[in-house]
Amino acid sequence: METVTLTIDGKPVTVEKGKSVLEAVIQSGGHVPYYCYHPGLGVDGSCRVCIVKIEKMPKLQTSCSTPCGEGMVVTTNSPEVEAARASVFEFLLVNHPLDCPVCDKGGECPLQDFSYSYGPERSRMAFERRTFDGEGVKADIDFGPTLMLNRNRCILCTRCVRFMKEVDGDAQIGITNRGVHSEISTFEEKGVVSLLSGNLMDVCPVGALTTRDYRFKSRPWDNPNAVDTICTLCEKGCNTTAWIKAKPEWAKGTQLIRTTPRLNEDINSYWMCDIGRFDYHWIEGDRRINQAHMNGNVTSWEDALVSVKDAVDAVGGATHAQFLVSGHASLEELFIIKQFAGNTGGVTFSWRHRVKPQPADTKFKIPAVDAPNLHGAKDLGFNTATSGVANISALQSAVDAGMVKLLYVLDPGPDGTLGDVEWVIAARKAGKIKTLIVQAVLHSALTAAADILLPGCAFVEKDATYTNMTGHVQGAARVITAPGEAVEDWQILSKLSVVFGVNVTYSSSAAVRVAIAQALGANPAYAGLATMTFSRPMSAKSWLQASNPSERWKWDFMFQDLPPIKFGDDFGPTPRANVIPMKEVK
Amino acid sequence: MEPILTKYVKQPGGASLDFYMKVGGYEGLRKSLGMTPDQVVDVVKQSGLRGRGGAGFPTGMKWQFVDKKSPKPKYICCNADESEPGTFKDHVLMERNPHLLFEGCLIACHAIGAKVAYIYIRGEFYHVQQVLERELAKARAAGLVGKNIMGTGFDCDIFVHRGAGAYEAGEETALIESLEGKKAQPRLKPPFPAVAGLYDCPTAVNNVETLCNVPFIITEGAEAFAKLGPEKNGGPKLYCISGHVKNPGVYETSMHTTLRELIYDPKFGGGIRGGHQLKCVIPGGSSVPVLLPEQLDIPASFDGVASAGSMLGSAGLIVMDETTCMVWAAQNLLYFYKHESCGKCTPCREGGDWLHKLLMKIERGDGEMRDLDLLLSVANNIAGKTLCAFGDAAATPVLTTIKTFRAEYEAHIREGRCTLPASWRASHPVLAAH
Repeated sequence: METVTLTIDGKPVTVEKGKSVLEAVIQSGGHVPYYCYHPGLGVDGSCRVCIVKIEKMPKLQTSCSTPCGEGMVVTTNSPEVEAARASVFEFLLVNHPLDCPVCDKGGECPLQDFSYSYGPERSRMAFERRTFDGEGVKADIDFGPTLMLNRNRCILCTRCVRFMKEVDGDAQIGITNRGVHSEISTFEEKGVVSLLSGNLMDVCPVGALTTRDYRFKSRPWDNPNAVDTICTLCEKGCNTTAWIKAKPEWAKGTQLIRTTPRLNEDINSYWMCDIGRFDYHWIEGDRRINQAHMNGNVTSWEDALVSVKDAVDAVGGATHAQFLVSGHASLEELFIIKQFAGNTGGVTFSWRHRVKPQPADTKFKIPAVDAPNLHGAKDLGFNTATSGVANISALQSAVDAGMVKLLYVLDPGPDGTLGDVEWVIAARKAGKIKTLIVQAVLHSALTAAADILLPGCAFVEKDATYTNMTGHVQGAARVITAPGEAVEDWQILSKLSVVFGVNVTYSSSAAVRVAIAQALGANPAYAGLATMTFSRPMSAKSWLQASNPSERWKWDFMFQDLPPIKFGDDFGPTPRANVIPMKEVK
Repeated sequence: MEPILTKYVKQPGGASLDFYMKVGGYEGLRKSLGMTPDQVVDVVKQSGLRGRGGAGFPTGMKWQFVDKKSPKPKYICCNADESEPGTFKDHVLMERNPHLLFEGCLIACHAIGAKVAYIYIRGEFYHVQQVLERELAKARAAGLVGKNIMGTGFDCDIFVHRGAGAYEAGEETALIESLEGKKAQPRLKPPFPAVAGLYDCPTAVNNVETLCNVPFIITEGAEAFAKLGPEKNGGPKLYCISGHVKNPGVYETSMHTTLRELIYDPKFGGGIRGGHQLKCVIPGGSSVPVLLPEQLDIPASFDGVASAGSMLGSAGLIVMDETTCMVWAAQNLLYFYKHESCGKCTPCREGGDWLHKLLMKIERGDGEMRDLDLLLSVANNIAGKTLCAFGDAAATPVLTTIKTFRAEYEAHIREGRCTLPASWRASHPVLAAH
């Protein structure tokens, strides 16, 4: 790597050649504010708050747009720079409505944070502020199916414009008019229609763009806990942070309030799609299976497990039973199934295949396969495809031929992710399947047809690992507790293993992972599985450092009291208390 | 000095190709095509030709910076977005002597290895576009523009592009953005257009008057051009004289001429109108500091005006007599600047509007003394902190008028009205807030 060495505030700093002065300042732990700069987007140089003094240059320079030069001498904190910076902050607030008390961004707003740190103590602006669509709530206007726009708050950093152009690939947002009347807009005010629209809320450094899903639902200080996890709704495996809203004292438990992306340059960069971001309401929704059922009636776990054994015995043993497994099954669950799979009639994988409508040249492609762990299944030795449409024809013909007396369906994913199941329901009704056992999380037509129904856990309710489409083995952490009597899926399978001829006894999911690491020792991707750690909800103390998701890395590097714990890979040591584990950004 | 660029502007039919050929047109192009591109650049460098758009940057050097080794195509962009208040010289050249501009464009293309020149004219120049398109078609038919020009094998085309009416499009990178079909907003520099300009290709952006000087330099030689004016300020120069003079208009002369001559000489401005006294003059379009009557005995050259603490800029002399209220003048200019700010960077977008509001407040008679310091502070906070030179231009009218006429501002604030004995004020009431 070619490097250059420059001096920042008297300290020598060596950075990769081509980095900007701002990136060098951030890398060296310095403090320089910015709005239009975003590490995932092209440089614009328009907000002017990152100005610094560079020796031998007559004017102050925007550090985001100035490449580091050998021997450059940069000053970020001289009185001249501080005064100039404060003046830009004064300009930024001249027409900003300052409706922070009712703004969704309040508390995690870079404009708030930086104005507090760098702005003048008061404004000298005495004129009426410019407004676009009206004062107060009138300023909130529709901005597509997922977003709302408040132009009064906009500081025209153009991050959203550049996100749509550079990442989404469909430049739907532009700026119309000129000068102080410049405004963010879309063609014929149609708003943004994109599967990546939620990221616009993340990149917006003010409360101009908010998501309909999250707006007015919570404030940052009402979300005292956040958990670093991954999204499992497709095979991409985006790294995310799940935010937990504290309920009032009289209510028990917690509430999953939003999901935001977390930087992983190898997988999702700074972004995630709207499906992963907004499709979480089912987890704490009314359709969750809270208790075991037999023939449609609630039963106890003991009775349910015994009846599984009876059912297997009744059809003449495990060889007459077949498994239909969702691509949502984790490595732990599949590893246990793998141990008794040979005793059964067979294991078939199924998943949903949906091509997502996206611009052709998007930088963030959402895969069509809605299954997070097909590569894991393959690595564990199951005979399954890992792409395309699921091929379940062999199982279907076996069922048609009456060869499958008992079908065990494992479906820990949300609605529809198992692919087509109508044929299963029809086969059960026609009596071709004698006993249908379903282990799932949501009540559906399939669970209604089940003879025995076992309640499992959603991906945010269990520590589970998945191998994504690029072979990254990642963990989804337990963010919230499972509802009712639902049990982690690997435990259910572990308890039932004896029914299928193998007595599997693991004390914890971690023990399963140790066993997987041993079994797959030849594959280096699984080497770290034995010591895999999962993020736990962090206490309120840390919410500031994990503040605005798009600015998260800023807090990690610039403003936290403690230095961040850096990991060389995803499977590092247990993080120190209260510090969010993170991937090292080189 | 005998006019060179505007010699035939009053000649009926002077804009036609026939006439231009009769008076030795396209001879510079013919001669330059016999030279190597480097020789052309050298001659222009030796002539000391400085850009006539405002900054006075040496044209030869600009052409030399164009990355000739680049495998990409090169472009000449002629900046004909003449929008600076008080400036109206380029449109005279384009309307009355279009072939001189075409010839300059072609020579420039030859010099930097370009095959295409774009003439970017401002949105309001509809009539100029008609003339340019008409004459361009004739030049193309005559084999002077297009393939195999004059049988030399040199291919070069010229296209006229009319903007949508934005002052900011006169900034060279904003002009390039606009040409590419985007909003006229400036780009970050570096990279400079000479490295990555139009369509990311090496580009030279030259003012109309600059390019119109090139044929003369080629035909008559660098020395003949240089000795027309003072050292480093050679060649003919067009001056746009407007405001309270007897004969406003465009005048061509050498840069030996003093500002006082330009205002008072009967050949030029002819003195102040109707027995009034000169109060001040803005010598280079609205974006430069004012000069007082006692500062006018300096050559109206780039270096001469700079030595007096102002800039020649686009050589638009705005002459104001003693009836002109400087608060009104500043407010008038800031209305322009806040209206034309492209809105890309913060200080100019927010600050320009703020300055205008403050000036309106004082104009209305609601001003307070502390507003003066606020005006100065806001203007200083804009100057030097913006992406392009627009911020400095917008701050200048405020800074210069307060510096020079602070007493007038104070009187305005104290009395709550304009204190000047100006009858025209009655017919120019304060504009409603915009």
